Amino acid sequence: MRSACTILALVVFGCLLPQLADAERMVVLITGESCPVHELSTLDIRKAYLSVAVSVDGHVIRPFRLAGDELLSQIFYQSIVSMSQKSYERRALSMAVKYGTPRPAVFDDVESAVDAVRRLQCGVLYLWKEDADSLDSVRIIKLLWQGD
Amino acid sequence: MLALKRRRMSRICPGFLTVCLLLAAFCSAPALAESQQEILFFPSIDTFDSFDESDSAEIDNFQRASLDLLYTYSGDRVRFLGEYLWSSNEAELERLKAGWQARDNTMLWLGRYHATAKHWTTEYHHGQFLQTSITRPSLEEWEDESGPTPSHVTGLSLEYDHERDDESAVSFAFSAGLTARFEGDELVAFDLLDPHSGHGPGLNFKVAYRPDFLSPLQFGFLSAWHEISVVSGSSPSLTDLDEITQWTVGGFVDWRWNDLRLISSVVYFDNVLDYVDEDVSDSFWLSYVQFEYEFGDDFTFFGRTDNGFEEDNSPYLRLLPAFIAHRHMLGLRWDVANFHSLTVEAADTSQQGEGLDYDNFKEIRLQWSAVFP
Repeated sequence: MRSACTILALVVFGCLLPQLADAERMVVLITGESCPVHELSTLDIRKAYLSVAVSVDGHVIRPFRLAGDELLSQIFYQSIVSMSQKSYERRALSMAVKYGTPRPAVFDDVESAVDAVRRLQCGVLYLWKEDADSLDSVRIIKLLWQGD
Repeated sequence: MLALKRRRMSRICPGFLTVCLLLAAFCSAPALAESQQEILFFPSIDTFDSFDESDSAEIDNFQRASLDLLYTYSGDRVRFLGEYLWSSNEAELERLKAGWQARDNTMLWLGRYHATAKHWTTEYHHGQFLQTSITRPSLEEWEDESGPTPSHVTGLSLEYDHERDDESAVSFAFSAGLTARFEGDELVAFDLLDPHSGHGPGLNFKVAYRPDFLSPLQFGFLSAWHEISVVSGSSPSLTDLDEITQWTVGGFVDWRWNDLRLISSVVYFDNVLDYVDEDVSDSFWLSYVQFEYEFGDDFTFFGRTDNGFEEDNSPYLRLLPAFIAHRHMLGLRWDVANFHSLTVEAADTSQQGEGLDYDNFKEIRLQWSAVFP
């Protein structure tokens, strides 16, 4: 009987584990260490990703995107720019055609994206916090999303 | 008109050089640390068939391939935009402008750009994939497609967005520069590669209110004034005509209710045709109303009516025989993939024509359009 209870407890724990892990997952915004900007409002982040010019204390914010992680992309559309993928893609294209503002560069892997952030003074990039924690020469400036 | 097209084609070489310069700038990108840039390709293929034509109508069916190339560069305070269009029947440098960003919400541009006082034109430019319908409203047609107002201006323009506390915004755009001239049976835009072409001045103004600064929903007013020089000897219909002064004022709306979208503009025209021995005044209204309804994830049903008021006997519009006076159109667009679409459009159309009566015909169009990358 005791072993049956132990197995049941392990099964329940095993089922809950991914959800507990999800609850701990966070998406953060990082920038280069040399960027003097320490705070960026949610509206400014949304503007930057929609190709609207954003500068803080004279420092131009340059956004970058990460592709290839389906969940991260969903969080980007729903929580960062607050629109569907189709609407976002059209809007960003439209801004490029109308105002000559290039769309945020998209990278397939974290390393290349972080390299791009490091090259610019105030490049910004959203990514999982566990990825951000292991990076040098960048710092987190905002928590964008937390699993619930 | 054919002669003009041939002349435009002869300018491919200088235009091609310009594009090469743009590409060279793009290739040297890594050296420009604090900047971003992008090249976009908007290809499209169209077919057009007409039927049920009135006796006077001589409508040519056609297939047309087009490629619009757009280059954008954005530095800390400087921006650059170049747009070049190749198609089966023309090649033209459409836009070439450099901008200085005075503040986050203020841009000053110098160069050749699209006339500010046109809503459709300033939303979609030549990016065929971005507009739902295949055809443009006749009110906003390009100069070489018998558009009634200049679409390209070369000079200075100022854009300013006033953001309000509730995240709404009022956007102002003002421009001043050299406008189109009248030659043959159409307007001809100022050509950067031919600066001594005798084009007159033009002013454009647009103000728009957006309830959400980051949303495309907007409505507003627009106005323009153009002093259009006339090449009198280029067509018998232009004999003794020195100049056309055109003043326009109107409104526009671009709104959405869930899956339903309305895009519309109404413009009042006041033209003075300055003949050697008399001035002829001419005023009328032109408008379009387009509804779009999105269903499923990938389909959009749309319809548009292009119409006017007191335009039937306009002396000015008679100078534009290919101007589409009325069009009642329905269509369906299928977004096949993220950046590809197939569109079909059917319309009942009246063209200005050479005589006193309109040339009437029915038309059907098919189009593939896309954007890369």
